[in-house]
Amino acid sequence: MSKEGIIFDIKEFAVFDGPGIRTTVFLKGCPLRCKWCHNPEGLSVNPQLMISKNGCVGCGRCREVCTHLGNCVLCGDCVKACPNRLIKLCGDRMTAEILAERLLRDADYLNRQGGGVTFSGGEPTMQSEFLLECLKRLKSMHRTIETCGYCQTDVFARILEELDYVIMDIKLADREQHKLYTGVDNSLILDNLEQVKRSGKPFRIRIPVIPGVNDSEENYRQTAALLSGAGNLEMVELLPYHKTAGAKYEMVGRTYRPEFDINQVPNLDTEAFSQVGIECRTM
Amino acid sequence: MTTYIEKLLDRFIVEKEQKQYREAPADKYREAVRYEKEALTDLQRTVRRLAYMLKHEKPVVYPDEKIVLLRTVTTVPEIFTEREFEGIKKEHYIHEQGKVCNINPAYDMLIAAGFDKKREEIKGVLQVLTDDAEDVESSEKREYLNALLEVLDLITEFADRYRKEAERVGNTEAAEVLSRIPAKGAENFREALQFLRLVHYCLWSSFNYHNTFGRFDQYMYSYYINDIENGILDKETALELIEEFFISCNKDSDLYTGMQQGDNGQSMVLGGLNIDGTESYNDLSDLCLQASLELKLIDPKINLRVNKNTPVEMYEKGTMLTKQGLGFPQYANDDVIIPALKRWGYEEQDAYNYVVAACWEFIIPGRGMDIPNVNGLSFAHAVISSMEKLPQCTAFEEFLEIVKAAVSEQAVELMESAKNVYMEPAPLMSLMMEGSIGRAQDVSKGNKYNNYGIHGTGLSTAVDSLAAIEKYVFKERAFTAEELLTMLDHDFAGKEEVQNMLRFEAPKMGNDDDAVDGIAVKLLDWFADSLEGVHNDRGGIFRAGTGSAMYYIWHARAEVPTADGRRRGEALACNYSPSLFTRLNGPISIIKSFSKPHLMRVANGGPLTIELHDTLFRNEDSIRKVAMFVKSFMDMGGHQMQINAVNRDKMKDAKAHPENYRNLIVRVWGWSGYFVELDEVYQDHIIERMELGM
Repeated sequence: MSKEGIIFDIKEFAVFDGPGIRTTVFLKGCPLRCKWCHNPEGLSVNPQLMISKNGCVGCGRCREVCTHLGNCVLCGDCVKACPNRLIKLCGDRMTAEILAERLLRDADYLNRQGGGVTFSGGEPTMQSEFLLECLKRLKSMHRTIETCGYCQTDVFARILEELDYVIMDIKLADREQHKLYTGVDNSLILDNLEQVKRSGKPFRIRIPVIPGVNDSEENYRQTAALLSGAGNLEMVELLPYHKTAGAKYEMVGRTYRPEFDINQVPNLDTEAFSQVGIECRTM
Repeated sequence: MTTYIEKLLDRFIVEKEQKQYREAPADKYREAVRYEKEALTDLQRTVRRLAYMLKHEKPVVYPDEKIVLLRTVTTVPEIFTEREFEGIKKEHYIHEQGKVCNINPAYDMLIAAGFDKKREEIKGVLQVLTDDAEDVESSEKREYLNALLEVLDLITEFADRYRKEAERVGNTEAAEVLSRIPAKGAENFREALQFLRLVHYCLWSSFNYHNTFGRFDQYMYSYYINDIENGILDKETALELIEEFFISCNKDSDLYTGMQQGDNGQSMVLGGLNIDGTESYNDLSDLCLQASLELKLIDPKINLRVNKNTPVEMYEKGTMLTKQGLGFPQYANDDVIIPALKRWGYEEQDAYNYVVAACWEFIIPGRGMDIPNVNGLSFAHAVISSMEKLPQCTAFEEFLEIVKAAVSEQAVELMESAKNVYMEPAPLMSLMMEGSIGRAQDVSKGNKYNNYGIHGTGLSTAVDSLAAIEKYVFKERAFTAEELLTMLDHDFAGKEEVQNMLRFEAPKMGNDDDAVDGIAVKLLDWFADSLEGVHNDRGGIFRAGTGSAMYYIWHARAEVPTADGRRRGEALACNYSPSLFTRLNGPISIIKSFSKPHLMRVANGGPLTIELHDTLFRNEDSIRKVAMFVKSFMDMGGHQMQINAVNRDKMKDAKAHPENYRNLIVRVWGWSGYFVELDEVYQDHIIERMELGM
């Protein structure tokens, strides 16, 4: 039996998710609770309704058809009723077999463009068995994950085995700070970073630059130290915080409370990395 | 960019200083009334009109300009009164405004020879004609050739007035250039550019429009390289001249005829295969791209000719330009277009020399009096007009046969209507069309190629409607044909959920679904089949295409709701593109879908248009990937493509606050224009199109 997973998007023509032109699959569920998260629909592993208020004409048809008011069972009646499709059922249950079949359709094309498939999220390793089956079914394609690295080390090792390339976040080098801003301690992450370094597989590190949280020179230096000597590291990318990060919170019924000054200009000085011979660029 | 070019931009684009010299608009029929009284022939009238225009022009020269001329006469007069024109319309098929337009003259025929030599050539032909007044044909020819001489004299006189003005303001260099041209052929790049500006200017003053520049990088190259080799120019000074020329294309463009402000057809084609298989893209082509990139102006609009060997670096340069948001370059695939043109009977050397007309149609410089946009067939209408027969069909294939007949019927009707075309004579244009002098025949009466192109609009709406009918009426039997007709009659009132399903869940073209895309293959084949082997009354053929022009708005206005869930009056997709409200898998699926039809058979012109979110153009790496994406469509057999870098929020804001977006440029159908100057219906369509942005 093929494993079932829950995905919340498949994005064609992804150009920032690894080498070449790629298709990126977003797996639902994340063990971290970063205060700057811009994909709140990826946090919960379960399917959920996503309602876009922008464009709503207030026709009320969604409420008219609802038979589970206040106790949503994701029947999807309101999705079908909305004349502008502003309600979305976020999270499709899909077997690895079906997903792989869909992705393999474009394998020749993506191979020709030096690309492949990227699993992102959420945190793709949260659905590790599903992810593993997908990766195994996609051996004819170049395979990458975008991971926060928070995963049991033995599971991570098995996943790493199936990958051609790794994109990993190092959000904060300091353990306490990491726990404060993401909800978890970074020791598993750092252990897995060591695994990636040892694997010899090409990898890229990303730092979401959050003003006043992790954009200090000290954090950059500590991160650079963690990475020094890794011959398989291609580069470090700084991803400046986007003020639009909060856009999707309301759609999933959450409130965005960033707890840092979103208007502060982030420090994007790449010198801490270039000094130790690591290529670093700002996205 | 040099400070001189910055100054010109400031003068002509930002401050629009040239407008202060303009006369107030005049009654466009004032001259025609006189011509009618004098009972002038149409040929005499066109010459008189040019005389009127050029004699009323007040030369304006800035002391620092290198390429002079700007328009001060605002209104180009008509040559017929309204009543006269109504009479002509009764007798003839009038395409658009009844003028020679949307063709590409061979500018080099004048620029290289100069007017003195042209006069000799004309006189040479005149000499061998008898002056027997009884010989009607001969006297008509004499009359025509004398008209050509008169046109040359008028332009010479006009150029000389500009020369004097240049002298008066102390611009001795410009005066010196005008003391040689147009009498003599251009001897250097600057003279050639001034010559081109002069001729182009006079075409607009002759009421010819959609005057494309064609293969500028080819016919201008010898002047450019000669100056480089002789040390007269280096790349920087050449670039400055090109930029000044490009700016000159924007000085008077608001006075040019078109459907909408910006639709003036000043396009340019760069690169392309030579007949020996080598690539013609040269240093001058490169400088043109650079100029366009630096200036960020609407005109000229850039087309790039590509083929399977075109390196991705070339597409990267194009993508850098796309990033500016101007809506060009547009790419044309030589590997599809050249064989298509040959198949249609174009001689090999001409096929290799093709250019892009005002929007996207493929035409031949100096040899084609093609009317590549003579009319438009609506696939959506073919489906709509077949719907009443749907209840009688027991199988989907039966319904397809009815639609096939409707396509063919519409095609025949359009071809039948394009008979006995009349266009006003165009003597200046004819001076740059092969054989016009020798045969003493005006281009408006025909030239080497006299083919008519028919656009095909509403393809995705038709395909999606048919796919929905197949799935819901015949396969799943979710509703009957009668029920569908009732829902459509009532614009889905009370059946919003079904409409919703049709809009968002039904199979759509653009998702790389063979069953759906196969319908598109059929529709386009039927269109091509209907035109195949039919000749027009000028001896030319009919060419099928995938363009839409303004038909996507016009056709939609009259159209009723469709089985794809489209509401009454909702616009059809522009050109060769997915339907507007569909939510597709993404760009890869789109190009896979749209490369399936036999595009070589429907190569009149009309690009696959894809809107990409502007963040995809963020860095070098992603620009390279966008370039690879464009290349991949061409490698899969795509015929023509145009990418827009878009940001929907910006457009919405521009609509709400036009004062902040005076210079925002967008692609409309085959051309780019200032967003804030467009009619609201086009603004809304563009915003809607961007919702599809990937």
